[in-house]
Amino acid sequence: MTAQGLNLGLEARELRSQAVDLALADAGLERDAIDGYIRCFVDREDLRYMGLSPNFSVSMMTGGATPVFSLLTAIGMIQSGQAEMVACVYGEAHSARAARGVQPIGAYGYGYPMLYGLMGAAATHAFHARRHMHLYGTTSRHLGAVAVTQRDYAVKRPGTLGYGKPITLDEHQASPMIADPFRRLDCTRDTDGGVAVLVTSAERARQLHAKPIYLLGGGTGHNIANWHKGVPFDNHDNIEPAKRRAFAQAGMTIADIDMAQLYDPFTISPLMQLEAYGVIAAGQGGAFYADGGAGPEGKMPTNTGGGQLSAYYTTGFTGIIEAIIQLRGDAGEGQLKKAGTALVSGHGMNAGVQNTWAHASLILGSEQ
Amino acid sequence: MTTETDNKHLDTILKVGGDPADLPFWNACEDELFLIHQCQRCKRGYWPASRCVDHGNEAMEWVAASGKATLHTYTIIHRTHLASMKDKVPFVVGVVELDEGPFFHTNIVDCSHSMLELGMPLQVKMARHENGLMLPMFMPAN
Repeated sequence: MTAQGLNLGLEARELRSQAVDLALADAGLERDAIDGYIRCFVDREDLRYMGLSPNFSVSMMTGGATPVFSLLTAIGMIQSGQAEMVACVYGEAHSARAARGVQPIGAYGYGYPMLYGLMGAAATHAFHARRHMHLYGTTSRHLGAVAVTQRDYAVKRPGTLGYGKPITLDEHQASPMIADPFRRLDCTRDTDGGVAVLVTSAERARQLHAKPIYLLGGGTGHNIANWHKGVPFDNHDNIEPAKRRAFAQAGMTIADIDMAQLYDPFTISPLMQLEAYGVIAAGQGGAFYADGGAGPEGKMPTNTGGGQLSAYYTTGFTGIIEAIIQLRGDAGEGQLKKAGTALVSGHGMNAGVQNTWAHASLILGSEQ
Repeated sequence: MTTETDNKHLDTILKVGGDPADLPFWNACEDELFLIHQCQRCKRGYWPASRCVDHGNEAMEWVAASGKATLHTYTIIHRTHLASMKDKVPFVVGVVELDEGPFFHTNIVDCSHSMLELGMPLQVKMARHENGLMLPMFMPAN
């Protein structure tokens, strides 16, 4: 992973190139070892510029679920004999783009609802936050507890936006309203950064420099199914089928998981996902956060590097990277005492109107 | 047959990332008619234009709806990048559940924000948007 943050002064392709170089160095591999390349989001000149010669290169787009999908796809390409070492690569330079005055706001529209002023992910996630408040009595202070919990993790993590900058619940409550019920401190923002994750067979991974992290299970689900059932806004994605498949593949239950690294564009997101994954019952997420359940000493330490809310926004790689850091024992002052297994999720828009996001689950482990 | 009004509406719909398949709906709004897309085999209603999850495209038709709904969820927008909406903040974007079943994204109007309550009954109110389209908004039912 490259540096992450604002105004890094590097173009997106440079961030991807550096991420690939770092991943190769970490694994102790030469460039020609990469025989598969998955560019998360959009690709054109990457391979020539980086001097890579894979058997295939594919761009992938399923919103913020793309990084987890890229790992699942890499497994498929390896198992089908197409490659041995697949690079799953991300690099975006939002600051550079913004500095040039390029603001692709149309990309944050959701079809006809834009006629009514609906634009941006905050407004669309506010819809299921509002439902959760209505159904279960969740409050803005509960959402604030998510923001504070994650910031507390970031405060101790060098290289994150929140490093050394604690926030309080009162500061959350005083931050300006953006899309009710979300205040400024309920929202993430884009950052610059590059990531490359190498996926290979367990046998090959054990021969490399870096400590391997094992992909134990994966699953996918799509909230369009809940749209057809008339309950998309009561759910944060369609997690049930993703969870079922991922845990079946891993031969585990939620009780076997040491940490959760969940896609968190807004504070409501990890709260509702912890419920859907069965860490707690539906409606208990607010109280769980308020009681420190997602903190380092809690029942399920969640987004332990600060997450997207307080660390950096790699559009779905944040959780994958944090799981790898923890499972390798590299988290420094923020290292969890028990870090053998991790649940990671991705969440991204790629279907109709809105609130019909894709979801992907991964279970990672330090042992096979 | 394509009319001049059709083309004007189509441009507007495409500009916001909407779907040309919904053009009959927006055209009907001009006559203050609120339509839904309905499967004539099972009578299940849809919005936006869809194929029936059970019967595909064999019997889909645009039909007049009651214009009655309940408030399913909403947000109050305090900050917006949309130039056309900047002088309207704070405004309410709601998702209403039409009596015929489907959800519809809309503005909730003629209702103070403190009175908003999920489940409250609403009725359609057509209002002219500055882009030229007649837009169905929803207000508290009488």
